[in-house]
Amino acid sequence: MSRKAYAIAIKDVLAEEMRRDDRIFIMGEDIAEQGGIFGCTRGLLEEFGESRVRNTPISEAGFMGAGVGAALAGMKPVVELMYMDFSLVAADQILNQAAKIRYMYGGKATLPLVIRGQQGIGRGNAATHSQSTEAIFMHIPGLKVAMPSTPADAAGLLRTALRDNNPIMFFEHKLLYSVKGEVPDDPDFVIPFGKANIVKEGNDVTIIATSQYVGKALTVANKLESEGICAEVIDPRTLVPFDTETVVNSVKKTGRAIVVHEAHKNAGPGAEIASLIMEEAFKYLDAPVLRLGAKACPLPFNLGLENAVVPQEEDIEKAVKSVLYK
Amino acid sequence: MEKERLIWIYRKMHEIRKFEERALQLFEKDKLRGSVHLYIGEEAIAATVCSLLRDSDYITSTHRGHGHCIAKGAELAPALAELMGKSTGYCQGRGGSMHIADVTKGNLGANAIVGAGVPIAAGGALAAQLRGSDQVSVTFFGDGASNEGVVHEAMNLASVWKLPVIFICENNEFGISTPVKQSTSVKDISVRSAAYDMPGYTVDGNDVFAIDEVVSKAIERAKDGQGPTFIECKTYRWLGHWTGDPQIYRTKEEVEAWKEKCPIKRLENYLIENKISTEEELKKIEADVLVAVDEAEKFALESPEPDPSKALEYVYFEN
Amino acid sequence: MATKVIMPKQGLLMTEGYITKWLISEGEKVEENQPLFEMETDKLSITIESPASGTLLKIIRGEDETVPITEIIAVIGQEGEDFSHLLTADSPAETKIDEVKAEAECAVVESNSISNEKTDRVFITPRAKMIAADKNIDYSDIIGSGPEGLIIEKDILSCEKGLVQNRNKVTPVAEKMIKENNLNANEVVGTGISGRVIKQDVLNIIKNEQSNLNNTDTQEKIVPFKGMRKVISDRMMESLHNMAQANHRMKVDMTEAVKLRKNIKESGINISYNDILIKIVSKALLEFPYMNSSLTGEGILLKDYVNMGLAVSVSNGLIVPNVKNAHKKSLEEIAAESRELIQKALNGSLSQEDYSGGTFTLSNLGMYDIDEFTAIINPPESGILAVGKVENTPVVENDTIVIKPIMTLSLTYDHRIIDGALAAQFLQRIKQLLMHPYLLL
Repeated sequence: MSRKAYAIAIKDVLAEEMRRDDRIFIMGEDIAEQGGIFGCTRGLLEEFGESRVRNTPISEAGFMGAGVGAALAGMKPVVELMYMDFSLVAADQILNQAAKIRYMYGGKATLPLVIRGQQGIGRGNAATHSQSTEAIFMHIPGLKVAMPSTPADAAGLLRTALRDNNPIMFFEHKLLYSVKGEVPDDPDFVIPFGKANIVKEGNDVTIIATSQYVGKALTVANKLESEGICAEVIDPRTLVPFDTETVVNSVKKTGRAIVVHEAHKNAGPGAEIASLIMEEAFKYLDAPVLRLGAKACPLPFNLGLENAVVPQEEDIEKAVKSVLYK
Repeated sequence: MEKERLIWIYRKMHEIRKFEERALQLFEKDKLRGSVHLYIGEEAIAATVCSLLRDSDYITSTHRGHGHCIAKGAELAPALAELMGKSTGYCQGRGGSMHIADVTKGNLGANAIVGAGVPIAAGGALAAQLRGSDQVSVTFFGDGASNEGVVHEAMNLASVWKLPVIFICENNEFGISTPVKQSTSVKDISVRSAAYDMPGYTVDGNDVFAIDEVVSKAIERAKDGQGPTFIECKTYRWLGHWTGDPQIYRTKEEVEAWKEKCPIKRLENYLIENKISTEEELKKIEADVLVAVDEAEKFALESPEPDPSKALEYVYFEN
Repeated sequence: MATKVIMPKQGLLMTEGYITKWLISEGEKVEENQPLFEMETDKLSITIESPASGTLLKIIRGEDETVPITEIIAVIGQEGEDFSHLLTADSPAETKIDEVKAEAECAVVESNSISNEKTDRVFITPRAKMIAADKNIDYSDIIGSGPEGLIIEKDILSCEKGLVQNRNKVTPVAEKMIKENNLNANEVVGTGISGRVIKQDVLNIIKNEQSNLNNTDTQEKIVPFKGMRKVISDRMMESLHNMAQANHRMKVDMTEAVKLRKNIKESGINISYNDILIKIVSKALLEFPYMNSSLTGEGILLKDYVNMGLAVSVSNGLIVPNVKNAHKKSLEEIAAESRELIQKALNGSLSQEDYSGGTFTLSNLGMYDIDEFTAIINPPESGILAVGKVENTPVVENDTIVIKPIMTLSLTYDHRIIDGALAAQFLQRIKQLLMHPYLLL
């Protein structure tokens, strides 16, 4: 085990896997000398050279397409998006091409492509640089969607992504990059996709949280212990594939569920998860499944406004008590 | 050009044309569904370009892709079966006319989104460059796609990275019904290559020799690590954008005039006039192709439908 | 510490109760669960037991008073205790309903800021419903503690934990509709489980009334003929068809019986004329075994025990629970047991055993001012004694007219196995025992 920051965990896995598999190369904006604006590729240029660690022009659609083509042609590209918001600039290549090619070609093509980058609030970047877009990618079949919430999960999930043969959306969070945690040193440490993490066990209510909200949910759950409320906190870790079994079993036990994420509540991941719970565990529910997510409003620039739009810890606490009828 | 390659081109052009004529008949008999965008009249481009490529070289194609796919090695039977959505088709009925691909033959795929195949071809070239191989990558696209941003992004990227990619712009005068002069800022689309510091050529797209000359040069340049080339092939779409297109955007006379410039006829005349081949030899090729198309049709018609219970197969690669 | 006695809520829509009788006087000692007072609501008559042991310090609301639910009506505590704070401190709304033990509502959970008003449907969470099904708990009367009365898991679990389920004969919704439409609850025949009156039953009546109003000025209506009504009908017809029913009547001087009841009551035991009759008739039945028999396919089945049936009128019909082995029981035991059976019959909680195995039936309509009447035998029994009211009547005694409390006994018997003379002797024996109750000793 080594204690390292989330961003360093990502960089280390990239380096380890590039040493292991020479088909892997990274491209993106300002990722070479600069090492990415959040430092996730810092030092890789020196080790792997400008061929495998290449700066791109600001042409998200163009270099995303090049990633798709290189993957089709037998490479394993890692395409870094400086902000995951820019995935929308490259939407055709991700949603119409990467996601569908294997299927449209009748299984005759393989598309190992990792599209990674950070998203979310916290740095006053306003609406086009602060949003959480995972729901868009959950909606299109053919993509896998990962959202690590800790340095260890970032390492284990990224290694799995780099050894997978599917196009993968890998959503990091800008506020998590500096968060430190223990990460296994095992060069084969992987966390399988579709295996949720029960972060904290409990019997009274299930809180399903993603990305930076896993930490917030845990804080609230620990606080509520003193009030006699024992919440179970589950981090699905990957939204596609989704570990329905773990979530449903938890809800069967607790009878109450809250989904909390930073993405917009409207048609957000929570809508999907809440529906799954209702389909699979309806008769076990003692309260409606509640969703907490950003309000239906572009993410504002001002910090106070931003806080007013995204769920706060008090909101999680309120929601927990509400489903417990307290 | 040596006889063998000329005959190969001649045969491929016939394969493309007779395949498409048969596809059109089947469409009219309601044996196949969806869009069937026909390449008839433009065969010289695909056939000539692909006569210069190996299986290991890449292409990306378009919604009007039958010609490129056949020229890049697609067999007629599974191609026609795919047009009919059969389980024996290239995509097992999941892709149809606009998505025929065969990565083993270097065809990274036809693409129904206009311009989307262009950066993908750049990616194929990038893979070649990363591996240090001498593969080249050719992207076919139309005059319409030349106005797509992603095509320009790919041209810039290819130029900056000196990717071994060749941009083949098939200017067939229309984006569906919109004439090029209404949609495009330049008369010769090849002039746009200058913006990306790459050589650009405009050639007669119905002239096998003109195409051969510039494409050969482009391939040499690509393999030499000097980067991409842009080639505009002026040609004409004989048929409507799709079956049933009323074609109010052009006159019958205009179409007839272009038919006079039939690329197959032109090559045939050349081969006979220059005694490279005989009429009998060429008729025999044509007849052989017809037999091959008959066989493809029979195969496609007799092939089973895909199993609906397996509709979800191939969404993901199962590790 | 003194305990408040409040007017207990006896049904979801009860808003007030009418105190008919205080069974304990002010200053008297009372034990927890001992009958304290009798009351009536628009639905039932019920004896309420004491919520605490101690001295009945004060009766605040007397007999014949109508009191809103949860209002204080008496105080029980230690003699000399100051209970003035109870009379002033709390408003009735803050009083906990479950302070009165007779309250049988299950899980009426008070929840602040949440309305307990029942809506048209019973709302229950899927989880609560699943658990209720697992544990076989009827939740339709539960007022949930969730928002707007939503029944949640907790409500079912607390219901299971101890409180007895109150299975009303009428669902809360139906009850509310009956009230709103000023219908006579007795006329609504239930088609729900165990003859429970459900919403549809009430709707049918309303529909019939409306169509009658629309069509003519007459007041005919159709009441569904099913459930308990149908069972009673079938049994009565079976009885009359299959038996040779004959009837004898006899007037009885009740002077001694009245005295006996008074004396016993003065000794602190609450008994009714019915209780005395049960005791006497049970003794007579053992002496006249044919009166206590059944005609079966194998012959006449004589029984050496008496399970004395008591006809009890309930909201939607009639039911006859029986006091088991009445011949072996003391008057006091009979009184307690019959009171319990009547109570259970009224609130619908009789078990099958309570109304099975009767050997003879007693039917008393004295409280309805009936002088005398003919009852129909409850098969497979062979006799039924119909009892009228006790009325002071001028009678000739030793050639002078005196006033005596007279009651008429009317015996219906199965002439197939009991001859007229035997029946007459049986009646004579009852008369004798009533006139000389010390013979019971």
